[in-house]
Amino acid sequence: MNDMRLVERDVSNRQAKIEARGVQVHYGEKHALKDVDVAILDRTVTAFIGPSGCGKSTFLRCLNRMNDTVASAKVSGNITLDGQDIYDPRIDPVQLRAKVGMVFQKPNPFPKSIYDNVAYGPKIHGLARTKAELDEIVETSLKKAALWNEVKDRLSAPGTGLSGGQQQRLCIARAVATAPEVLLMDEPCSALDPIATAQVEELIDELRTHFSVVIVTHSMQQAARVSQKTAFFHLGSLVEYGETGQIFTTPQDPRTEAYITGRIG
Amino acid sequence: MKEPHIHTAFDRDLEAVQAHVLRMGGLVEQALLDAAEALEKRDEALAQKVRTGDAAIDALEQQIQSECARLLALRAPTAGDLRMVLSVMRIAAALERAGDYAKNLAKRALVLSNMAPLDGTTATVQRMARTVVLRLKEALDAYIAQDVAVAADIRDRDREVDQMYNSLFRELLTHMMEDPRNISAAMHLHFIAKNIERVGDHATAIAEQVIYLATGAVPGEERPKADIVPDVSAAEG
Repeated sequence: MNDMRLVERDVSNRQAKIEARGVQVHYGEKHALKDVDVAILDRTVTAFIGPSGCGKSTFLRCLNRMNDTVASAKVSGNITLDGQDIYDPRIDPVQLRAKVGMVFQKPNPFPKSIYDNVAYGPKIHGLARTKAELDEIVETSLKKAALWNEVKDRLSAPGTGLSGGQQQRLCIARAVATAPEVLLMDEPCSALDPIATAQVEELIDELRTHFSVVIVTHSMQQAARVSQKTAFFHLGSLVEYGETGQIFTTPQDPRTEAYITGRIG
Repeated sequence: MKEPHIHTAFDRDLEAVQAHVLRMGGLVEQALLDAAEALEKRDEALAQKVRTGDAAIDALEQQIQSECARLLALRAPTAGDLRMVLSVMRIAAALERAGDYAKNLAKRALVLSNMAPLDGTTATVQRMARTVVLRLKEALDAYIAQDVAVAADIRDRDREVDQMYNSLFRELLTHMMEDPRNISAAMHLHFIAKNIERVGDHATAIAEQVIYLATGAVPGEERPKADIVPDVSAAEG
């Protein structure tokens, strides 16, 4: 079945979901991101790696306009989702973030029940007309996040009462519930133990049959395990972007090689 | 040279395993030279020394393989580091085979020391052995220096050994046709020559690992070859 695995990892026939051209970000005087061009593929896991302060999280936050909320941030260049400019003034950032969901480093469930955590997004975006429809969305989302079996008997229990790994999967279910097309994950496993990490990684692999997943990670092994494409950022520039296997065996840029082999901090 | 790793123990591990490969190379080179000399000088004690010495080469190969397994498991090497570990494993395997050929040469030298000599043939074998040992040494030096140009040159020069083998093949054929009583010795010498020629192929394989290590690309099959199956009929002999 090795051949199947290779086919599964082959994303060369995927279309671009998000295209970024000449993206620059300034935080006040600081030039945080310099002229990034990249095409994020549909139904593919893309990992962003690089040392702290390299611009990978900054770029991730450009993809659903999270940087809008940072007063000093100034984003220029062009980012399209399915060909549509996401910085177009007619685009509602709240609607955009329903399509381009986000999961953060630390699990941050709302101080509400498990059910309400997942139902919140669909409610405010009017995705369900009846209680039955909402129940359906909650169940499907929890199933997609591989959490349903663990919580189906206690949906009214507080989300904050779950374990760390379960909370993170709850946050993934919450992001999945608004039927996103892209899921952005900013170090989603850094607060989890190895078992919970493996579960979330397995989940990411399943999610890519439905969405594009972009994951920022400090763990190169995690990038190697979960992604099909890897982008290496350094000092605000996208240094190298390629097929994950190629990046980890024969990187083309000496800076990529130095970083992934543990020669620069 | 590359920058050191942040984990300096990683560099020490990589250097240690490379040092073992060099030591193994040194043992194999000496074994081949000794075996060829034992053949030429009919020195049974030297041939015995080569036979028993192969155990040390095999033990080093085992050690290198287990150190590589540890490196893969504990350090999860990537990029150039990964290629280094993979190439070390293949080079150690090639050297282990070359060591076996030296041992086999020594065994046949013991048998041949009790047979009538065939004029000039053992001297040719010794020349062949010196040439492949030089090739091995150059390949290992190129490996340490990660010198792609030297490695490519070694691949191209594999022809020399092939040509020496082909001419020895003709010589042996002549001896066999002259006197059927030579057949037994000639057959042993032919196996010896063939095995030395194979050591040359292993030197080429090591040179190819240098190219893989340095560039990530495995060279194709387009190198010049002269080890065509000798088509020597009695009439030409």
